[in-house]
Amino acid sequence: MARSWMEYRTPAWVQWCPGCGNFGILAAIQRAISELDIEPKKLTVVSGIGCSGRSCYYIKGSNMHVLHGRAIPVATGIKLANPSQTVIALGGDGDMLGIGVEHFVSVGRRNIDITVIVHDNAVYGLTKGQAGPTLPAWIQTKALPGPNLHDNINPVLLAFASGYTFIARGYAYHVEQTKELIKQAIEHKGTSLVQILQPCPTYNNIMTKQWYEERIYYLNEEEPDWDPVVSTHDEYIAKMPRILMKLVEWGDKIPLGVLYRNIAKDTFEERLSKIILNYYEYPPGRRPIEVEGKPLIDPWTVFKEKVVETQKI
Amino acid sequence: MKEPDILFLIGGPQGGGIESAGQIALKTLVLKGYSVLGTRDYKSNIMGAHSYYTIRARFSRPGAIRFPVDAVVALDAESILTHFTDVKPGGLFVYDSGVLKTKIDSIQPMEKALKDRLKELFASKGLPPITESAIKIAEENGVKLVPLPLRELVRKLAEKTGASLTSVSKAVNTMGLTAMMYLMGVEPRCVEKGIALHFAAKKKVVNINVEAARLAVEYVESNFGGPRETLPDGPHRGKKVMLATGNDLVAMGKLAGGLTFQSYYPITPASDEAIYMERFRYYELSNDAREKLGVPKLGTVIVQTEDELSAIMMALGAAAAGARASTSTSGPGFALMNEAISLAIMAEIPVVLTIWMRGGPSTGLPTKEGQQDLLHAMFSGHGDNPKIVLASGDHVEAFYDAIKALNWAEKYQTPVVHLLDKYLASTTTSLYPDEIDSSKATIERGVRVDDPSEDYKRYAITENGISPFAPIGAKDMILTGLEHTEEGFPTEDPVIRDEMMAKRRRKFETIAREIPPEEKVVLHGDPDAKITLVSWGSTKPIILEALKLLEEKGVKANFLQIRVFYPFPVKEVLDVLTRAETVINIEQNDLLQAAFLIRGFTGFTIKHHIKKLNGRALWDTEVVQAVLEILETGKEEVVVKGGA
Ligand SMILES: Cc1ncc(C[n+]2csc(CCOP(=O)(O)OP(=O)(O)O)c2C)c(N)n1
Ligand code: SF4
Ligand SMILES: [Mg+2]
Repeated sequence: MARSWMEYRTPAWVQWCPGCGNFGILAAIQRAISELDIEPKKLTVVSGIGCSGRSCYYIKGSNMHVLHGRAIPVATGIKLANPSQTVIALGGDGDMLGIGVEHFVSVGRRNIDITVIVHDNAVYGLTKGQAGPTLPAWIQTKALPGPNLHDNINPVLLAFASGYTFIARGYAYHVEQTKELIKQAIEHKGTSLVQILQPCPTYNNIMTKQWYEERIYYLNEEEPDWDPVVSTHDEYIAKMPRILMKLVEWGDKIPLGVLYRNIAKDTFEERLSKIILNYYEYPPGRRPIEVEGKPLIDPWTVFKEKVVETQKI
Repeated sequence: MKEPDILFLIGGPQGGGIESAGQIALKTLVLKGYSVLGTRDYKSNIMGAHSYYTIRARFSRPGAIRFPVDAVVALDAESILTHFTDVKPGGLFVYDSGVLKTKIDSIQPMEKALKDRLKELFASKGLPPITESAIKIAEENGVKLVPLPLRELVRKLAEKTGASLTSVSKAVNTMGLTAMMYLMGVEPRCVEKGIALHFAAKKKVVNINVEAARLAVEYVESNFGGPRETLPDGPHRGKKVMLATGNDLVAMGKLAGGLTFQSYYPITPASDEAIYMERFRYYELSNDAREKLGVPKLGTVIVQTEDELSAIMMALGAAAAGARASTSTSGPGFALMNEAISLAIMAEIPVVLTIWMRGGPSTGLPTKEGQQDLLHAMFSGHGDNPKIVLASGDHVEAFYDAIKALNWAEKYQTPVVHLLDKYLASTTTSLYPDEIDSSKATIERGVRVDDPSEDYKRYAITENGISPFAPIGAKDMILTGLEHTEEGFPTEDPVIRDEMMAKRRRKFETIAREIPPEEKVVLHGDPDAKITLVSWGSTKPIILEALKLLEEKGVKANFLQIRVFYPFPVKEVLDVLTRAETVINIEQNDLLQAAFLIRGFTGFTIKHHIKKLNGRALWDTEVVQAVLEILETGKEEVVVKGGA
């Protein structure tokens, strides 16, 4: 029997403002991992800095709270060292798409089997409401001294261009649906993105619960034939126009659900195991490095191309 | 018989086989039983700029290169113009006789400043601004000229081998090198062995180069006669010898030291380390290990990341999950890693940062020597940021230090900055089995719990400040960069804050106590000498050579080499410095960074300094001269400026 989601709570005080979208995301993650029956110690949540980043203290796992923008490379290192671990990297829009955007992009190129969750409130919550990278231009949220002059980044399109093999969008207050997306993301083999639209009642007074709920719709409900799964190149070519239309749709209508999934690409771990043949059996975090305190290799044998046998003259 | 001690350089355009020629020369001399030192000087350029390889060989390992040399091989006009004054009187100057009419101004890659200096010099002697003028001056200086008609020889080579002109024209390096080595008394068959060894499986290339060597010898013999005498064989014939750079040895040390994860972003002069390692990322275990572990091969994951922020963070993630992890970079990349170092200190994550220093500030002299990142290493990371800083002095130290750094990182769950530099990175030397012996190294991981109990606390407060380490995945836990409770939950409580600051401080005191004094500093030479030279890093073998030269001149000095800068060996350093009458500090940076640290940690102010800033390797001879100058005049600072 699966563990109850309550088993994934921790003693820490959840310190978000009342009504914060992060509560819904937290619940969705806890429910997803409980339904997947992942043992707490086999789950790792790595988070960046921000209101959202606090989540790693609230989910029972073998977790790590790192630097602003740097959850993804840490998650990558953990996954590569211990590929049997379920690894989630999470952070805010500022964390993932501002200061850490180079990692957001590069992880896609590797297709490491981790799940990236972006808590997208379009503001910098923890530093008191500055514009986030997903805040559209000319919007002036509460804490801004003037309208935002930057255009907004499109996280799902960026993820697609970067090579993510699972891309989904959810909405923080829809715990049940978001939980399903997170479950699928975790189960997907490869780099997954779940962008979660997250109202911040304290600082984002424009993109509110009402604002979102007037716009969002679920793809599988409005378009019953929606099928974003790609398993061959031909299928990719055939489905791409429609998938791209959905990846760029934003404004009066905002699609939610799985936007793209590619099951044809191998993960970085699989690629590694073609070079280090016993990689899964002896991953970096779980392999012997000595016998009786002595090194496992003799440089004169392993690096023999550097050795000159002078008697051979 | 006086022990032979030969020193020469071969120069030519980058991409023109200078590296190959250097390697062939080193291998030839090793085959002859010599101990060698070879260093490559190159510019931040892929093709065309001047580069040169300087080699010294003798019976005991040479500790330094220096100018003037016994022989120069100049394969193009720029090399002639750069090195015509770098040969001793009576030495050899082997050059391409086809470039004598080349005008200084027509040599595009050459620095304008050098052109201007040469034009002025030539004009002052009534000579025209062409390459030939340099040859005239060399001749006046008593240098023996060996002009080689390289174009003609290349044409003959094409005829002889039936290969195309373009495919054989590369062999001019071999021609120049062989001509010079032949005249220095190295038997042509040894050079041929060196060529065969270097190009190994590439039969056709071996053949072309052997023929090139023979043509060169033939030409030299009929035009200049043979060598005065044959160079005697060295004492190391019959031995197994390893020819490796500092980059190679750190790579070897890390793999022998049980490294299981390395991340890096390409940068000179660091990336060759990771790239070399990557060739061996799935390696054979020794027989003993294979038997005891029941597995023939194991792998080390090496990842080229998107930048240095990712490189260090990935290493931290891997380390937290139980890997033995490191990253490798030079100054610019290290600067990007600062915030992560602070995280590693706070979250207590073991990681080794191998820093290959080069000339700064900024992009500075990206391919040249410098020791400007000592303070950077000491003060890297924000907040109170103690960490281990270790500096290797030579190739052998680099190998064992790479292992030691990994041990310390895990034992003390702390970042270890391992400082090395460009000179060590691209200098090759010969090493013997008793010097690089992995059985002399031990691997220690400290207190690790792979199966922690329910009440395990990641940041348990202990007497020695070290909390037992459990990897991520072993139990639910939390690692964090925020100030935290023993369980890892964030706290701003004033009492816990003090307790945690004290715990981390105790850990650092444990480190200071446990690292044996002889691993922190080494006093070379007579402990009772009145003069003490102080230095660190790759200047070590150079200063050891200088001590011998000083002794020949009747000056007795010893040398304090600082190996560990953090925790700073206050007592060990002070003991030596207060005993000396004159202390002279030697380093390759302008701020006199080690002297600054010595003053800060011990209160001892060093009054005399020798520094080198021009990006070229330090010479033993210029150290000697500077020491003598200081002893004579009492000067506070001498800047030495050797090198081309
Ligand atoms: C290197 C660095 N720069 C700046 C900060 C300050 N900072 C903390 S959180 C944050 C922004 C958080 O915004 P976001 O990532 O969107 O997370 P949210 O709080 O909205 O969940 C910033 C700029 C920091 N912690 N580190
Ligand atoms: S500031 Fe916004 S994002 Fe942060 S806790 Fe409050 S409501 Fe949530
Ligand atoms: Mg945000």
